[in-house]
Amino acid sequence: MGTIKERGSTHVYKVNKISKEEMESMVARCVYEEPPFCSAACPLKLDVLAFLEAAAAGSFKKALQLYEKIAPFPLILSAGCEAPCEAKCRLSEIGEGVLISEVERAVSRFGEQSKLGGVFRSKKRKSTAVLGSGLFALMLAGELEKKAYPIKVFCEQDSCESYLRACAPFLDEESFAVELKRLRGKDIQFEFNCRMDAAFYDDIKGSFDVLCASDELRRSLFPEAEPNQELMFCEEQGLVSGRTEGVLGAAFGAKKAALTVDRLAQGLDPRNTRGQEGSVESRLYTDLSEAAALKRVPCPEEGYSREQAMEEAGRCISCHCEECLKSCAYLKHYKKHPGLLAREIYNNTQIIMGDHQLNKPMNACSLCGQCTAVCPNDFDMARVCLLARKNMVSTDKMPLAPHEFALMDMFFSNIDAFLSRPQPGFEKCKYVFFPGCQAAAIAPETVKAAYRDLTERLEGGVALILGCCGAIASWAGRDEMADQTHEQLDRELARLGDPIVIAGCPSCAKELRENGAKDVRGIWDVLLELGLPEGAHALERPAALHDSCGARGDEKTQAAIRELASRLGCELVDTPYSGDRSPCCGYGGLTAYANREVAGEMTEKCLERSDAPYISYCMACRDRFARQGRESRHILELCYGTDAGSPPDISEKRKNRLALKNELLQEIWLEDAMEDKLDYKLLFTDEARELMDDRMILVEDVIAVMEDFRESGEAIEDDDGLLVARRRVGNATFWVKFSLEDGGYLIRRAWSHRMKVVKREG
Amino acid sequence: MAIEKNYYTIDPEGKIRCFKCKVPLIKGKAKFMYLDNGFPVELPVCPVCGYVYVPEELALGKVASVERALEDK
Repeated sequence: MGTIKERGSTHVYKVNKISKEEMESMVARCVYEEPPFCSAACPLKLDVLAFLEAAAAGSFKKALQLYEKIAPFPLILSAGCEAPCEAKCRLSEIGEGVLISEVERAVSRFGEQSKLGGVFRSKKRKSTAVLGSGLFALMLAGELEKKAYPIKVFCEQDSCESYLRACAPFLDEESFAVELKRLRGKDIQFEFNCRMDAAFYDDIKGSFDVLCASDELRRSLFPEAEPNQELMFCEEQGLVSGRTEGVLGAAFGAKKAALTVDRLAQGLDPRNTRGQEGSVESRLYTDLSEAAALKRVPCPEEGYSREQAMEEAGRCISCHCEECLKSCAYLKHYKKHPGLLAREIYNNTQIIMGDHQLNKPMNACSLCGQCTAVCPNDFDMARVCLLARKNMVSTDKMPLAPHEFALMDMFFSNIDAFLSRPQPGFEKCKYVFFPGCQAAAIAPETVKAAYRDLTERLEGGVALILGCCGAIASWAGRDEMADQTHEQLDRELARLGDPIVIAGCPSCAKELRENGAKDVRGIWDVLLELGLPEGAHALERPAALHDSCGARGDEKTQAAIRELASRLGCELVDTPYSGDRSPCCGYGGLTAYANREVAGEMTEKCLERSDAPYISYCMACRDRFARQGRESRHILELCYGTDAGSPPDISEKRKNRLALKNELLQEIWLEDAMEDKLDYKLLFTDEARELMDDRMILVEDVIAVMEDFRESGEAIEDDDGLLVARRRVGNATFWVKFSLEDGGYLIRRAWSHRMKVVKREG
Repeated sequence: MAIEKNYYTIDPEGKIRCFKCKVPLIKGKAKFMYLDNGFPVELPVCPVCGYVYVPEELALGKVASVERALEDK
C-alpha cells in the first residue's frame, strides 16, 4: 500500500490560501464581541450588563463603582439621564424593557461610595482650569479630576454649595447633600466670586496649560467662536468648550472635552487617536425564546427601594450571542467564540518560526457546518479550519500524525479492498451502488443485502463500487490526494458506462456531487420509489433520528429519511438540534483520528439530546453512538432486516471490508479471491486488542512485526519475561510484546512511536 | 549542539536481555530522529548486536510528548 511522505520542518511559507482581508471579513461575521444593545446606545458607554448584574446581586457598591466610571456625579446623571439604553432593551420587543434609569437612581442613592484614601494618586504635570458654572462645567471638572489633572474652577458663586445649586438646580435636598459632599471630597480647587469677563480671562489664561469654559461663558466672551462639537473645542481661541443639551448631553460633552484636554496637554492634535466615541449600532444577536419576567417591577414615585431595584435589575437577560457555543462541542471545548478562534488559527498559519499552538484546534473541527447553520450571520468555522489545513499541507508544515491513519485507511479502501464491477450480464450499467467505506467496514451484511436488492429490483444493471469517495483526503486538506481519488472514481464510472450513482452515505453523495459525478442519488430516494424490501421492520421503541452532517442543507434527503422511517413504522421522538442544526457525531472532518477527546465530546453532545435509541443514516454516526453504549441503528439495517451488532474495532473494520469484497467476488462474480493465510498461530489477549484499538495499531502492523521477528530472531526479553519485537512500518515503529505459545504467539501488548531510533556511534 | 538528555533510567540488574545474543542490555548511545530533528539519547542497547529498545512507558510518555512538540514547530 506504500507510505505517505512525512513533512520536513525547515520550509518557509510561500502559500496563503486565505487573504488577510478575507479573514477579517469572516471574523467580522461573528457578533460575540458586539456590545449589548443598551450599552451600545449609551454615549457614555456604561457597562450596563455588569452594572445590572451587580445590582441584581445586591452588590450596590460594585454597581456604583461601575456607574461612577461614566458619571463623576451619579445622582446628578441618574436624576436627569434620558436613558437611550432603555429604548434599546431587547425585552421591550416582547414585553417591558428593564427600567435601567430607575436602577441607576437606586444604585446612586443606596450604593456605598468607595473611599479613595489609601491610594496615592500622583497628579499630572499640566494644569487645567474650568471657567464658569453649569452641568457641562461641573462634569468636566469631575472628569478632569478623575484623570488626575491639577484643576481649578473659577466661578461667580461664593461657595461650593451655591456653585452646585447653580449647576444642578433640579436635585432634591437629599441628593444635593450627597453630591455636595462628593464635590467637596474631590481634589478640585475653587476660586469663588470671580467677575467672569474678558479682562479676567486675559488675566488668567497664561497661568494654565489648558483652559476650559462653560458654554454660557464662552458665548459671552467669544460670541463669534464656532466650537467643533466633536472635540468640544474652539481651535482659534484654544478654549475647550461647546454646546450641550440635557444632563446626558452635558455628561457626554464633558467626556469628549476631557479627551480633548488630554490630547492638548500632551501637545497632540485633539483630532487624533480618539477611538470610537458616542453611541453605536450593535449587530449583536439575542435569542429571546427563553426570556421570561416580561413585566417591569412597578416603580413608586420616590424611586425603587433596594429590593425593588435588585428585582428589576434581575430581569436583565444579559444579551450575548452564544448560539454556536451552545450547540458545538468543539467550540465549547476550546472555550473560544469562533471570531477569536478563527483569528488565532489564521495567525497560526502565519508563523514561520516557533510553535504552532493552534494545530490541534484546527484539526479538531469536524468541518460539519453546524455553526454556520445556527449562526445568525452564517459564520463558517469549517471553512476557516479547512483552509488552514490546506495551507499547512501546501506549505509542507502539516505533520502526518493527526491524519495518517485515516489516509492510510482511505488507501486501503481504494487499493486492497477496492472493488468495481458491472452487474454480471452487463458491460455498462444504468446504476452503480456506492455504499461508502464505513458501511462496508461496519455493516457488510447490510451492504450485501442492499446490493442484491438493487440488482433484483432495478432495470438496466446495477454496478458496484466498494471504496472511499475521497472525503477523507478532502477533510485532511490534502487536495492532491483527493484529486487522485476523484480521478480514480471518474475512471471507474466511465468504464461502467457513466451510471447513475446510488450512494449509501450522505457524505459520499456530497463529495461525489461536488467532484464531477453527474447524477448522484441517495439509496433512500431509490427505496422510496421502489417500496420497502421484504424483511423491513421498525425499531420496536420510539427512537431519535440523528441527521447526518453530510445532509446539512439538503432538505430533500432529510425529508426522504423521515418518510422512509415513517413507512418503516418507526416512531420518532423530537430532539433539539435536528435537521440542518444537527451536531456532528465526531467522525466528520477526521476529528475521531486527530483529536479523540474532542470527538468523544461531540458524540456525547449528540447523545445528550435524547435517551432513546438512535436511528441515523450515516454509518459513522451509527458506529460512534454504538461505541458509546447507545442502541444505534442505521436506517438501512432496518430496511434490510439486518443487524450489524456491536461495533468493530479498527482491525475488524479493515477485515470486514476485505471479507466483503472477497465474498461478493466469489458469490456474485464467481471469481476466486486472494486470501493471505498465516502459517502460524497468532492470538491476542483482550487487553492487547483494546490497546491496539485505542492506539490505532492494526493486526496487519502486528503481523509485520512478527514476520520480521520470525525471519531475524531479533527481540529483547523484558524484565517481566515476555519478548518484545519491533518493526518500522511506514512512518511509525511498532513494538509488540508477546509470549511464545504452542505453534504460535500470544500478543499481550503493542505500542508505537513515530520517531526513528538508531544506535549512535562514539 | 544538542544537549544529551537522560529520558530513561536503565534497569541496573540486567534483567532486560537481548533474545538473540543472550546478553543483558546496557546503557548505550542512541539517537531519536523526527521531522528533520535529531536528539542524542541514552537507551538500553544490546552490546553485541546494537539492538535499541524503546520501552512502552518511554514511547507513550516522553517520546510521544516530544513528537507532539515537534509537530507543532
